[in-house]
Amino acid sequence: MTVAKAVRQVFGFFAFLGRKAGKVRVFAVLGLMPVALAVVVRIVLHGRSGPMAAVFTEILMVFFLQFYIVILALFYGTSITAEEVENRTLSYLITRPLPKAAIVLGKFAAYVLLMFGMVVVSLALSYFIMNAARLSDPELYLTFLRYLGVLGLGIVAYTAFFTLLGTFLKRAIIVGLVFGFGWENVIQYFPGSTQKFSIVHYLKSLLPYHPASISGGRGVALLLFRLEPTKPLAAVLMLAAVSAALLALACWLFRTKEYLYED
Amino acid sequence: MTAVISASHLSKWYGNVLGLNDISLELEEGITGLLGPNGAGKSTFMKLVTGQMKPAIGTVAIRGRRVWNDPEIFQGIGFCPEQDVFYEDMTGSEFLAGLLRFYGFPKKEIDDRAARALDVVDLTADKDRLIRGYSRGMRQRIKFAQAIAHDPGILILDEPLSGLDPLGKRKLIKLIKGFKDEGRTVIVSSHVLPEIEALTSQIVLIHQGQILAQGDIPYIRELIEAHPHQISVRSSDPRALAARFVGDRSIQKMTFAADGQTLVVETHKRDEFFGRLTGIVLEGGIEVDEISSPDDNLQAVFEYLVGK
Repeated sequence: MTVAKAVRQVFGFFAFLGRKAGKVRVFAVLGLMPVALAVVVRIVLHGRSGPMAAVFTEILMVFFLQFYIVILALFYGTSITAEEVENRTLSYLITRPLPKAAIVLGKFAAYVLLMFGMVVVSLALSYFIMNAARLSDPELYLTFLRYLGVLGLGIVAYTAFFTLLGTFLKRAIIVGLVFGFGWENVIQYFPGSTQKFSIVHYLKSLLPYHPASISGGRGVALLLFRLEPTKPLAAVLMLAAVSAALLALACWLFRTKEYLYED
Repeated sequence: MTAVISASHLSKWYGNVLGLNDISLELEEGITGLLGPNGAGKSTFMKLVTGQMKPAIGTVAIRGRRVWNDPEIFQGIGFCPEQDVFYEDMTGSEFLAGLLRFYGFPKKEIDDRAARALDVVDLTADKDRLIRGYSRGMRQRIKFAQAIAHDPGILILDEPLSGLDPLGKRKLIKLIKGFKDEGRTVIVSSHVLPEIEALTSQIVLIHQGQILAQGDIPYIRELIEAHPHQISVRSSDPRALAARFVGDRSIQKMTFAADGQTLVVETHKRDEFFGRLTGIVLEGGIEVDEISSPDDNLQAVFEYLVGK
């Protein structure tokens, strides 16, 4: 079987299994948080559509970019290999005629799609509730697609990183938490080129910039602060390259490493 | 006959613990039983044969091809793991069909093969139930079904009979024997001698990571027979019973247990001893309440062989 075909088969298996798993429901409920917030904001700012875009950018940056996709990627990414080892179901996969890289890539693709689905629903609901007054404006949809693209790239990059962690660490989730909510939240605010050692830096570089929202929202001003954005094309290329490199490393490790069940 | 599975100077460590120690063997077509107590190294051997582990030293090959990181080899291998683990959120039918996808079969064939395997293990009626709701025996059967669903030429079964009721065991034994008749190769592990005996006459005895003996049942039986057995006989009058055995050539040693009611006999000729004991009981005069053979088990045999 070719690697591409094997990836498709593994993808199909885990896309099906992933939909049935209990954690989908937990994360889907979590995705309703910005929807509830959007309803509240809509009621509070009723009739004032002007600041909506800026407020939504804040929701996007604080909830989606720095929390939701990170937590999703952390749990799904680390589980790609770790759950097979912990549940001892790895035997069912590696005794099939599947290249080991196809197991990682197929499961990665299935989980990325699953996470993206949850993000699309949450983002669409919250975005269009907040911008209900501008539904005839074509720019609204373009901005939505842009947000979606950025979050999609974020899911891929973070999941690739956490997949790599899961292939060689036993307690990958702890290290992942430190990375996702420690390193990423600190490094991005460092001046100069240091901030470029975080994934979120490139994601923020792709988002529309609303200086008004920074001066207005004092509580989250620090989180929205962006020192030196990378040019959009360079940011996209960097995210793609980093994701590909992390995944390639994860596949190589999974192929060479021996996984022992804890007896 | 060409070896289907061959291992050469195979060793495996778990940290400082030795799992397998310099094993060299060749397994041919038919059924081979891997027999050994828990922790003997049977599962380690099976994991090495199925590419789940990498040998620390030595090689393991199937039909001449090294197993580690050669996925194509698994097109013709079915593996039934020892662990009672599944993708619990799937139904029996989804589980089989899902795993069959990995062989590249078209959709229709996947459905047909899954249905056939479910039928073989008598789970057709429960195919749409979640595996998490299956009984232990059903779980064991669905695990076996996933190993045979793709029609492999080589079946590797790690403790396949554990958890099955006597009827289930009998059915599975018949099924496994059927595979042999179809010219397939089956490697089956167990720590229960009668289970292996019911399946095959070709046995490999494993203990503490080493092969103690390899051969057919009569040879293994010979080894076992050479082992002096201890038999305890609880009787109303153990001293009178002992008196009847004095001079019997099948007896090596007789002692009385602390309870004063039990005669402990050591013999090399177990069958002869039991024949004589039956005769004494039938003659009358001595009542026997209980007969037990504390070391008539695999562990004792292994200990004897190791000490030999």
